[in-house]
Amino acid sequence: MLSKIKSYGLMGIDGFSVSVEVYVSGGLPAYDTVGLPDAAVRESKERVRAAIRNSGFEFPMQRITVNLAPADLRKEGSVYDLPVAIGLLDATGQIRNKTFAEEYLFLGELALDGTVRGVAGILPMVIGAYGQGVRKVIVPLENAAEASYIEGVQVYAAESLKHVVDFLNGEAALMPTPARKWDRARIAYPMDFADIKGQQGAKRAAEIAVAGGHNLLLVGTPGSGKTMLARSIPSILPELTFEEALEITKVHSIAGTLQGTEGMVSERPFRAPHHSASTASLIGGGQRAMPGEISLAHYGVLFLDEFPEFRKDTLEALRQPMEDGSVTIARAATRSTYPADFMLVAAMNPCPCGNYGSRISPCRCTQQQIARYLNRISGPMLDRVDLHVEMSEVGFEDIASRSAGERSETVRARVNAARRVQALRYKREGILFNAQLTSRMTARFCALDAQAEALLRKAFASLRLSARAYTRILKVSRTIADLEGSEAIRSHHVAEAVQYRSLESKYWGDTRR
Amino acid sequence: MKREYSERERYLLWLGFVLGPGSKRYFRALTAFENDAHAMFAAAQKHDLPPECGLKEPILEKLFASATQRYIDGCFKRLAELDVSAAAFESPEYPALLKEIYDPPPILYYRGRLQAEPALPIAVVGSRAPTEYGRRMAHTLSQALAECGACVVSGLAYGVDCIAALGALEAEDNPYPTVAVLGSGVDVVYPAANRDIYEQIIARGAVVSEFLPGTKALPSNFPMRNRIISGLSRGVLVVEAAAKSGTLITVDCALEQGRDVFALPGRITDPKSEGTNVLLREGHAKFTLSAEDVLEEYGGWRAVKAQTLSEPENLSLEQAVIRRLLLANERSFDELCELTGFSVPLLNSTLTEMEFSGIIRQSPGRVYSIECVL
Repeated sequence: MLSKIKSYGLMGIDGFSVSVEVYVSGGLPAYDTVGLPDAAVRESKERVRAAIRNSGFEFPMQRITVNLAPADLRKEGSVYDLPVAIGLLDATGQIRNKTFAEEYLFLGELALDGTVRGVAGILPMVIGAYGQGVRKVIVPLENAAEASYIEGVQVYAAESLKHVVDFLNGEAALMPTPARKWDRARIAYPMDFADIKGQQGAKRAAEIAVAGGHNLLLVGTPGSGKTMLARSIPSILPELTFEEALEITKVHSIAGTLQGTEGMVSERPFRAPHHSASTASLIGGGQRAMPGEISLAHYGVLFLDEFPEFRKDTLEALRQPMEDGSVTIARAATRSTYPADFMLVAAMNPCPCGNYGSRISPCRCTQQQIARYLNRISGPMLDRVDLHVEMSEVGFEDIASRSAGERSETVRARVNAARRVQALRYKREGILFNAQLTSRMTARFCALDAQAEALLRKAFASLRLSARAYTRILKVSRTIADLEGSEAIRSHHVAEAVQYRSLESKYWGDTRR
Repeated sequence: MKREYSERERYLLWLGFVLGPGSKRYFRALTAFENDAHAMFAAAQKHDLPPECGLKEPILEKLFASATQRYIDGCFKRLAELDVSAAAFESPEYPALLKEIYDPPPILYYRGRLQAEPALPIAVVGSRAPTEYGRRMAHTLSQALAECGACVVSGLAYGVDCIAALGALEAEDNPYPTVAVLGSGVDVVYPAANRDIYEQIIARGAVVSEFLPGTKALPSNFPMRNRIISGLSRGVLVVEAAAKSGTLITVDCALEQGRDVFALPGRITDPKSEGTNVLLREGHAKFTLSAEDVLEEYGGWRAVKAQTLSEPENLSLEQAVIRRLLLANERSFDELCELTGFSVPLLNSTLTEMEFSGIIRQSPGRVYSIECVL
């Protein structure tokens, strides 16, 4: 009268095996769920009861105890409906197969009519279970696609409780979903670099940023094309590897944002939260410590438009994940760590009215208004953004006449080449691109010749740069050299890199001059 | 710096402490006592001031109450604590030029060193929110004037005022480069962001005000301050002024006081230059293109550095092309890209080199222009 069914639970993007134990004994009819269930798990009793009856099985009028082991970890969500129902049917002898519980792992929510519904987080659970030796999983039909990318696991797509039980009893056929090979779909990007007229300087900055994994700050008057440029950045991002795609999919599986994909994320995410976003929505959090925008932008682009309009504490909270590439959200009961390795693209106006520096419509802001606006971006935040670039103002008559420039494909080819050079160089360092260089590695890989060194010294004197800007310029110079295919960093590389730092002293320096 | 006050100054200042800023009332009252402040003090002690003083209640009441030696000592002690000095109309350091105007302030409070006859005082005035062009011109011209030995008088507000002071302070050889006139008490720094410039001015020049220490920067104080700015100066140089701006009030004061007015021309479409352009058209101001144009009005003053825009040497081909383009007009990065046809990396590095060589400069909006030396 005891049954033990395998299932799985999540904490962050990693998880733990859950053993669903169902014990049916004599006594007054009762139903207890133990093992730190949350509200959704506790409510499963009603769904399980209805689903069993409506599938034509018998619900025992006896004392039922459901234990979710290990008992000291919190269980969340509706994923245990299916394993509990199967356990109940097994404990009451309604499943004749006596060995299935060893073989299969069950995941899924039940509808009252016995249909199996999809749940969030199937991919990381299946990956975790595979690591624990499980080779056969029964998952909801909706989630079968994402689970079928894991090599070595037979994934059975469950449509209804009755179908699953019939299959276990050998009365119905259920074929494992064919394992799928991930193929990098040809993605049709909505925006192409060639769509942007003019702005060659800003496009070049975007190319450098992507090639070295640097963060990018775009400053420009309204209508100069900041948002358009940011939205076209995904089209020049380097191609995803399978491992990257798997990790992105894990996060999105947990967040439940996989709808509309083929089960697996095939392009780098582009997230553009509104500037009213709360800290929890950006960093992650909430009662169940869900991943935030920065984790959903993992291996992709996090675009923050109207940068200074974000709440200051929200922006400051970004700093730590930007350094670590991951974020840990601690709650009283749980601690979840999510990856958050994103490229930050921020866009802002140069002043509250937006026209500072414009030659077409003069700015109406006072110096102190401008200073106050710019000061919403703190120095440490500014420091974490390697490239600052000003968009050129676009007048009406310019739009038609400006040349379009290269297509994204051409740019992407250069980016891919530069990334390969970097990956090769940093093979032993455990990093992938220039932006990740630590200060010790910078000294080693970004050595300058005498001429370049002299130029950099000059730049410091005339631009009044901070000491922290020094390593940033070095890293960007390294990327520029990589794009050119040069192993040595020459003075013209440094000269170009300095252009992407001159904004700081111009705007954030002494604003009175 | 503790200043000793003579017996005569003591009572002149007493009257100023009690009456506060304003010229008319002070001098009318003093005339009634034939400029003898001590006599007036004695009369006030006896609560016996004749009606010719033109003073009425409640100021009479205040005069009577403060006509004690203790009150005067208390005032001097407070001034010393604030490190503020006071100069009465007859004091030796009271600026000679200021005495000539119709309504000179009876008392000037100051910090730093006040000179009665500074070498060629020239006021530099203009918009509080100047354009990039205005900023550059205010800075360059003030520096050039101060380097030639002139003393730049300004208002220490936002914009041209503090830029002019900063420019003048760059002239390191000038022993008395700048004087700032405040619309608040001399111990009140408004705007507070200018604190560091304020300190630098005190160290090398003077900060003056006719308002009692502690007076807040009320909007109504500024027109009164403007007459002192022009009054202290032999000429007023207007860098940028919109039509109907506060700067034009200073110009009106200067014209009434018979001072020279100089104005920089601007584009006729630029609202920030409307005021200066109109001044030039009406013939109120001298058309000014360099510090030299200001200096030549005053015999014996010559510009140290002549305006240079000669061809720099050793330009690469790319640099020469860019320079030629920028000489005609300022250009944004995008425009340069289109016009030259250079690749972005090449353009970027060339521009950096030219910036560092001081040939061109970059302004907000990523606009490049030729760096000119006046």
